[in-house]
Amino acid sequence: MLAQLIVGGLATGSCYALIALALSIVYKTSDVLNFAQGEMAMISTFVALALLEGAGAPFAVACAGTLVFAAVLGAATEFLFLRRAKNPTTLGLVIMTLGFEMILYGFAGWKWGSDPRTLALPISDATVYHAGPVVVSQLNVAMFAVSLLLMALLFAFFRFTRLGIAMKATAQNPEAARIMGIPSGRVLSFTWALSSVIGAVAGMLMAPLVMLDPNMMLDPLMKGFAAAVLGGMTSLPGAAAGAFMLGVIESLFGGYVSTEFKSVVAFAIIVLVLCVRPSGLFARHYIRRV
Amino acid sequence: MKNFVFVLVIAAASVIALEPPAAAEPGVSADTIVIGQWGPQTGPAALWGSVARGTEAYFKMLNDEGGINGRKLKLVIRDDAYMPAKTKAVVKELLDDVKVFAFVGGVGTATGMAVKDLIAEQKAPWVGMATGSSNFYSPPNPYVFALYPQYAGEAAVLAKYTLDTLKKTKIAVLYQNDDYGKEGLKGIESVLSARGLKAVEKVSVEVLDRDLSSQVMKLKASGADAVVLWVLPTHAAIALGAARKVGFSPQWISSSTLSDAPLMYKLTEGAWDGVVFGSFLDLPDSDSPLMAKYREAHKKYTDPAKERWGVFFYAGFAFAEPMVEALKKAGKEPTREGFVKAMETLKDFKGIMGPVTFGPGKRQGMNSVFVSKCEKGKAVKLTDWIEMDK
Repeated sequence: MLAQLIVGGLATGSCYALIALALSIVYKTSDVLNFAQGEMAMISTFVALALLEGAGAPFAVACAGTLVFAAVLGAATEFLFLRRAKNPTTLGLVIMTLGFEMILYGFAGWKWGSDPRTLALPISDATVYHAGPVVVSQLNVAMFAVSLLLMALLFAFFRFTRLGIAMKATAQNPEAARIMGIPSGRVLSFTWALSSVIGAVAGMLMAPLVMLDPNMMLDPLMKGFAAAVLGGMTSLPGAAAGAFMLGVIESLFGGYVSTEFKSVVAFAIIVLVLCVRPSGLFARHYIRRV
Repeated sequence: MKNFVFVLVIAAASVIALEPPAAAEPGVSADTIVIGQWGPQTGPAALWGSVARGTEAYFKMLNDEGGINGRKLKLVIRDDAYMPAKTKAVVKELLDDVKVFAFVGGVGTATGMAVKDLIAEQKAPWVGMATGSSNFYSPPNPYVFALYPQYAGEAAVLAKYTLDTLKKTKIAVLYQNDDYGKEGLKGIESVLSARGLKAVEKVSVEVLDRDLSSQVMKLKASGADAVVLWVLPTHAAIALGAARKVGFSPQWISSSTLSDAPLMYKLTEGAWDGVVFGSFLDLPDSDSPLMAKYREAHKKYTDPAKERWGVFFYAGFAFAEPMVEALKKAGKEPTREGFVKAMETLKDFKGIMGPVTFGPGKRQGMNSVFVSKCEKGKAVKLTDWIEMDK
């Protein structure tokens, strides 16, 4: 049971990891915590469903279409909403994402209703592999692999590519970055698009596990946030590692201690981390940006 | 002096002229009776919002048949998003501004509890709240009429069926960590303890949880051969998926809140086959004349592409049936008091639910459920109506 609980925890952790990654990319570049992240992913997943079932598109096409939609949604959110704010404070922008979250949530309820749905993926949760006493599904393996791969790619992207470095520069000082010739507006839009695409990937992979309905992301978003805080919002590998830790801790707690308080564990961890290491376990600690 | 008398006469005459007719009852006009209902059209329980839309279709059908004693029924629906604070606000509006004659339906335990006193204070009748919590009829309130079979009683029926007919004795429970889930758990435990047994495992789930892998591992480790579900449809589907993955296949048993077999079958990609559950309404493809008529009404008054013919949709018909019957009995000039008296005369009234009986001091009208099973995505009746122990 112990081994299975750990494997289950890692599987859940990879859901959290994808969301934590999406959240931290935006946070890294603009200091904004995007509360609409979950609903943006949920809407994208509904778009995947509409393409697959409504339009009867083949999976690859539907998948590509969904990612394009997610990118446009992300960029548009930044360009049409956040950038319109006059003299924005970080708090103001965060509140705007909260408002946008409610709009998207209401829209999904109106457009697709509240009956839970299933999204048919070629990778199945019912196909399982046995390794000794441990069972793991094809989908779990895929999610684990995708979250690790994305983490590595993003890490490399921020460290080695010009655009990645431009994003970091924009994060540290938008004025200076602009003076140095970095189109910081475009960089920000790109960040949001990237984050939304990761969210869409998370949504599509999670749909078979958690059922697709307008509420599907409420809990995973909170957990992804907790995971990112645990690992460090500014460190991508940190956020992912935090997510795997949180998944395993939750699973073990639910298995051995109490299921009644399983969900509370994540938030207890947030409080604890904020008291002891406010930057997160794996992020470099700094006091304040200039 | 003459002038003074003249003024007095005029004044008296105008007072008499302006006096409204003596029998003005809230919500009743010459040609309509206004009924209110709230229900979650948005939010985490929006799945159950179809109850209100069912009642609406039912009223449209009745109106096209000529209404009740010459009056049309008008249903005013308000969305409370399953949030008790909002329920309070919309009920206040329905009472004070819309001025409804009575309420019908209303989804949720916590939401209903938030407005029970408010409605009773204004002496507005309220029939058929969509919850099986005992708080609505015990102690009885003269204006509040409950229909939904009580969760604990239904759970007891299911537990007995599991022990006696399915011959499974190692029973575990997966329940929602609130009044809804706990009343179900209580009903199962009462039967088990009466037989000198104990639940082999009790595992809880929170409303917003989306990961149930450790819950399912616990259930599997308990060695249960039957697991009773008292949760939301989404959680049932997630639990069955997680169980299939780890090769855990007990006999699943579920409350009537999960009795929408076609939906559950689709959600679980077929894993719902063989699940045994309680039902408080005739099955969707029942050939009873009343159900056939309601199916026609569904086609005629809703857009079937958007509104599924599901249990919770036609529950909206069922919760309103006794009210309509009592309104017919309440006569040409219905009053709230007359309506309450008419409700009390209902005895073994049969619509698409089990027999409904109210009486002075008796405010829980329906005490029966039957057991069904999901076969190839369709509900199949296993027993006749079973009366629950009170």
